[in-house]
Amino acid sequence: MRTLGLEVDGWDSHRAGQHLDVRLTAEDGYQAQRSYSIASAPADPLEITVERLDDGEVSPYLVDDVGDGDAFEVRGPIGGYFVWDGDEPEPVLLVAGGSGVVPLMAMARHRARVGATAPMRLLYSSRTWDDVIYRDELESLGIEVVHTLTRGQPPGWTGYTRRIDDDLLREVAFPASDGPRVYVCGSTRFVDAAADGLVRLGYYPRSIRTERFGATG
Amino acid sequence: MESRVLDGNAAGGLLLELFGVELTAAPCVCSGCGAREEIARLDVYVDCPGVVIRCRHCHNVMLTIVRGPERTWVDLRGTRGLEL
Amino acid sequence: MPIISRGFRGRRQDGPPDRVPPGQYLTDDFPVLSAGPTPHTPLEEWTFTIEGGSEPVRWTWEEFRSLPSEEATVDIHCVTKWSKLDTAWEGVSVDTLLDAVEHDKDYALAFCDGGYTTNLPLEDLTGGRAWVAYAYDGEPLEPEHGGPARLLVPHLYFWKSAKWVRGLQLLDEDEPGFWEQNGYHIRGDPWLEQRYWGD
Repeated sequence: MRTLGLEVDGWDSHRAGQHLDVRLTAEDGYQAQRSYSIASAPADPLEITVERLDDGEVSPYLVDDVGDGDAFEVRGPIGGYFVWDGDEPEPVLLVAGGSGVVPLMAMARHRARVGATAPMRLLYSSRTWDDVIYRDELESLGIEVVHTLTRGQPPGWTGYTRRIDDDLLREVAFPASDGPRVYVCGSTRFVDAAADGLVRLGYYPRSIRTERFGATG
Repeated sequence: MESRVLDGNAAGGLLLELFGVELTAAPCVCSGCGAREEIARLDVYVDCPGVVIRCRHCHNVMLTIVRGPERTWVDLRGTRGLEL
Repeated sequence: MPIISRGFRGRRQDGPPDRVPPGQYLTDDFPVLSAGPTPHTPLEEWTFTIEGGSEPVRWTWEEFRSLPSEEATVDIHCVTKWSKLDTAWEGVSVDTLLDAVEHDKDYALAFCDGGYTTNLPLEDLTGGRAWVAYAYDGEPLEPEHGGPARLLVPHLYFWKSAKWVRGLQLLDEDEPGFWEQNGYHIRGDPWLEQRYWGD
């Protein structure tokens, strides 16, 4: 993973949850394009966090090669559905699968920056403790964080060790009667499973906003 | 390398560029089954020679977008109404 | 004028120009391209039908698999710019299928599970240039690659090699299929770089 700080000509601000599209052009005109969620809060300098995929075409370039002064084209900010502005009063449940935590991190950072008081809780599924992004910062944002580590756990781990299922959701999610709003982000399979589980818990389907990530690299 | 099913968020940049407005939160109605959903809640296929957006309920093709070097083709036949 | 990103190359490979058409790059993978959910038709229900002749002709899976078949090692070229050389298939030649039908038509529209269609002149489907393929690389064709059977027409862009094919409708005129209605070229010859309308 690498977090890149970007300066974009003519960039306005953005809303927490939005993404931008990056386009790279090679000298012979060949182009490749990918979407990356904005990791920073709207009040902070623009940042994206990129996961390096070994057989990827764009992510190895962004993670390994790009340095200060390098340039590429950016389109955005994009998104009007998977956004949280901080003035909504309902409790917010964030559910992250792997790198799906990035847009949710923007929401958590935004909440801290603007001093929003709506309760916010993050359920974050990762393979191992080393895969957890923003590990330390998450503890200092004033939100509840529940990790589940599905492939390996550090010695002494007392937290969840399995993929999200109905029992886990029942223990972690706000009661449906609190009228929470939910943001789920991760792979299609992860997102669909979490959303279906929450509906079974009594969550109103339209209160669950989802963003499916496709691992392309 | 699996073909991915994403959602309307993945088409957001393309739609913004083509139509000049943010469309992921715009509800549209499926001409196949009448379901009304925001574009963000539709199934989007990007691993093909274009972008194909389908109704999540009946899988009807609602929008197809093909970008050529100089022209872009947009087929909206499967959408019965878009709310902005 | 797009901004050039210093040092960006992407993962492309160039290949021998006599085998890789203009604008194409080589790949070692076999990318899965799909415009919709993968259908899963049970073989007991699968049929292949040719319509538009003096009467419809239909084969069940058993009947289809009892037809003479052949192996074909071919290069394939996708309009999304990747090419893959020496791909090994097994299938029934479309010539064999068309021989069973009495007709006077010049064009066909291939139709598939999931609703995909693509059109071809019969000239491009005959003369040993096209198959209904049921195996790839020695194994039964996987659903994500078009199994149980797909059209295989390697001399045209691969969108013409319709996955999950269930038949051909024979027609007097060339009628554009799914991608052909949406900007893609009516014929799609990769050597003439016929990608889009008017190319």
